[in-house]
Amino acid sequence: MTVREPNPEPNNPLGMDGIEFIEYATSQPQALGSVLQSMGFVPIARHRSREVTLYRQGTMNLIVNAHPDALPGMSAPAATPELKAIALRVRDAAFAWRRSLDLGAWEMPTRASAMELNIPGIHGVGDSLIYFVDRYRDFSIYDVDFVPLPGAESRPLALAGLHYFGIVQSILEDRTADWLEFYEQLLGFTVLPEGKFFGVMPKGTLLESPCRKFYLQLVEPPPGSEDIHWEENLLRIGLGAPDVRAATRVLKERGVIFIDHGSVQPSEKGALTQVYFGGVTFELVVSHLKPGAPGGRGQP
Amino acid sequence: MDTITLAGPLEAKLKAVRDAGFSQIMVSARDIVEHPGGEAAAIALVRQSGLRVTGFQTLRDFEGLPDHLHAYKLDIAKAMLVMCRALGSKLLVVCSSTSAHASGDPDVLARDLRKLAMLAVPLGIRVAYEALSWGKRVKEFPQAWNIVAAANRSNLGLELDSFHMLATRTELDELDLIDLQKVFLVQLSDFMWRELPSIEERINTARHFRVFPGEGLHGEEVADLVRRLDQKGYRGDYSLEVFNDDYTQLPPAFVTGRARQAVKWLTDRVSRRSLPVRRDRPRAQRSG
Repeated sequence: MTVREPNPEPNNPLGMDGIEFIEYATSQPQALGSVLQSMGFVPIARHRSREVTLYRQGTMNLIVNAHPDALPGMSAPAATPELKAIALRVRDAAFAWRRSLDLGAWEMPTRASAMELNIPGIHGVGDSLIYFVDRYRDFSIYDVDFVPLPGAESRPLALAGLHYFGIVQSILEDRTADWLEFYEQLLGFTVLPEGKFFGVMPKGTLLESPCRKFYLQLVEPPPGSEDIHWEENLLRIGLGAPDVRAATRVLKERGVIFIDHGSVQPSEKGALTQVYFGGVTFELVVSHLKPGAPGGRGQP
Repeated sequence: MDTITLAGPLEAKLKAVRDAGFSQIMVSARDIVEHPGGEAAAIALVRQSGLRVTGFQTLRDFEGLPDHLHAYKLDIAKAMLVMCRALGSKLLVVCSSTSAHASGDPDVLARDLRKLAMLAVPLGIRVAYEALSWGKRVKEFPQAWNIVAAANRSNLGLELDSFHMLATRTELDELDLIDLQKVFLVQLSDFMWRELPSIEERINTARHFRVFPGEGLHGEEVADLVRRLDQKGYRGDYSLEVFNDDYTQLPPAFVTGRARQAVKWLTDRVSRRSLPVRRDRPRAQRSG
């Protein structure tokens, strides 16, 4: 067994190594599950005691949490699925957590966790969480809490090479500098030069993870949107594809509808799916990223 | 207006402030926790008042503490931040530490304020650091500015309080060294005697004998402060922060009437665009 030393590097203080999983909370897990399946995610395991399902596609793990206490301070998850957590792979989760708290992160409420396994985490935007996971090479965190679904392929291949590219976060007006500091100081992200964008949604500010395996996009309310209700939360997942047109074609065949009017048109750069349940959408982005190893070697 | 100037229950304070034509209120933590109906009822009252919450006060003796005291104070700060957000306030006021246990190392003070600012980020709150004229290490606004500048966080700025500036007789020319974008709030008051040389006199006067601008001996200096801030481009909020034992045993409407007179007194001396209640707020301006 490898002994992990907290050995901070200047440009990657936590030894970040990509996204381990992304978590949705919803009171309608079946409805969301059917959308996820059309997007290529396959349900592969179910939580031993809670209403939580693990989906996988290629290197991507995605958790759908329908447990009543999935959201801190709320009795039940909302009907509209909400992005509630990002789990980051790091070299040493305890070190990452401790360092974050020392710099001013909030400890997350333990009861909000989808896992019974003790995964350390901190508060992110809105009421979302950022988990730190260090057991992803020689051990699967899902082995502890999840039971494989009968007959499910534990390592379903990705459609058209899809992989996690990033997450879009909405923020309030004049808050970009605050959130840049949050991600730069706590997690080691770096801001990309103004004007550098991927995909078909060129707005906001892009941050690159210190491991250079994914991006965060911060979006303030656009001008003229004073009457739109705008709050801070995780907005949507960006999926990378080496060939967006090929990916779009495959997904359309599976019934996915892409927005093709106004300023957002599917192109070789990217595409945006329709909005499901009043709030869920996926963005495809042409990607230069090389997907990492799938999460964990164990079963499921 | 500031609730600490007024007598009576929270309901009466909010009504008097609103009736006098003020649009904002500074709220103290005590207003919330001492309400007979409980914390949630007090927060609901403020939110339903139609008044914008300028800021929430006061976190005291936070920065520079050694390990175990720091851990304790961190819990207090978190609880204050949670209340601040529940109230709909975008600003938390933090006074410079008076604790004998606090370090005077500027790096330590900056580090702790940086941590507080980070805690405030997910809650959408800005932190305004105020130089108390009897602070242990930080007594004057240029010292507070040095700490804020060293901490270098976008949601950490200064609060300027005319009382403390007058008490320490800090030169207003020092404002030239400050980035006014980092001044998050200006609190105005005056007092009735010329000098406050000792710490004891400062504390006693600050807590019991402040008066509104125009009622004290340093009115022209207060007006000069507002004039300079305006000319240098400050477009943030002003608040009247008057701790006065007489005012807290008189009807709130009487006191808010004097507050209105103070605003008129100021606007007669300072160009009208500086007047908070008449100023057009640019869209990009933050609250607080």
